[in-house]
Amino acid sequence: MTQNKNKIIELFISNLSNAIVHYILEKAIDFEGLAEKYRKELINSFEIAKAYRNKINPTDKPLLTDLTIIKEKLEKRVNNELKLRISRGYKNINLSLVKPEIERVLKELHVT
Amino acid sequence: MELIAKISKGTLMDQVYLPKNRTSLPTGSYVILKPLASLIQKEEKITLNFHGIKKIEPIKLEILDKIIRTIKKNVQNYQNIIITGSFLNKGFNFNDLDILLISDYPISTESLSKTLDTQIGIKMHILSISNKELLEGLNSDPLYELMLSECISERKFIYKTHKNPNYKLLDLHLLNSKVIIDNFDILNGKDKYNLTRNLIAIKLFLENKRLNQKMLTNFIIKEFDLSGINNLKENTLNKNAFLEKFKEIYQKLFNRIIQEVSNDSK
Repeated sequence: MTQNKNKIIELFISNLSNAIVHYILEKAIDFEGLAEKYRKELINSFEIAKAYRNKINPTDKPLLTDLTIIKEKLEKRVNNELKLRISRGYKNINLSLVKPEIERVLKELHVT
Repeated sequence: MELIAKISKGTLMDQVYLPKNRTSLPTGSYVILKPLASLIQKEEKITLNFHGIKKIEPIKLEILDKIIRTIKKNVQNYQNIIITGSFLNKGFNFNDLDILLISDYPISTESLSKTLDTQIGIKMHILSISNKELLEGLNSDPLYELMLSECISERKFIYKTHKNPNYKLLDLHLLNSKVIIDNFDILNGKDKYNLTRNLIAIKLFLENKRLNQKMLTNFIIKEFDLSGINNLKENTLNKNAFLEKFKEIYQKLFNRIIQEVSNDSK
């Protein structure tokens, strides 16, 4: 059961970090959401993360015991993805958005 | 009873003569006179324009006719109606109907969608977009090109595009497909198909190939060594072989896109 829970948390983190990277990259390209309009039907990382969140108990209360590890892993993964791009010359990526965005999505998903 | 009669000139007043032998309209009853022209206005004929579609079921054509008439009645100032998506595929295995409403003015798609849903009974996915936005999408996003490669429109259209990849945007689009790598086991066939289609469309777009559904399907079958596209759509894939190929294509595309982003920044 614990192993299963840990796996679900890993998948939750993986999808949520992808969603946060997506959000921060949108900001980096001054994205107006025009070309993205038609892509709404593609299943996205945030929806999947949401589905995984609903499998982690308690579903309607903050995940106090797992919170620290979730935050740390999210921050590490998002920063790694973004820094990889920065190291290859990608400009305008605002790393200061990472922490507030993590806080925002975790609150939205009742993790904090 | 309805009669068609001619107004004739009288001395003090003009009049309409009615035949003595008639089944109703007795003398002394009141009637309405109306110009004939206003009653015989013909219902405007709608001619649909097919792009990349050879055949479609007659019942679907009736539905499209009704949709277009309803939109015409409810929306002013639009330039074109484009129907696209799985509704146009052979058979009736579609979930909703994708409508692109080309207009330079804002349109409340929500209320229009409700009206169409009530009148036609099919879930509608309406996207209101200006010509400029559509052109921008066609130049920079492979899925737009794919979308217009098979569609039916109310009016004829030709979009002169010249591919101008926005690599940062393609990086964002490619990131959507990464979902498969981490979530292969929980995704259904439809999601896998859409995400693979997205990946391959980006690849072919960058290779400057002209995109259409058939070509994309054939490419996916060949590249992933499938027995048919239903292998993917019905989720009967060989996980390891599929993921290995998927990751390989994903990584190559990612490297290329990031390289181009870097070149653009210099």
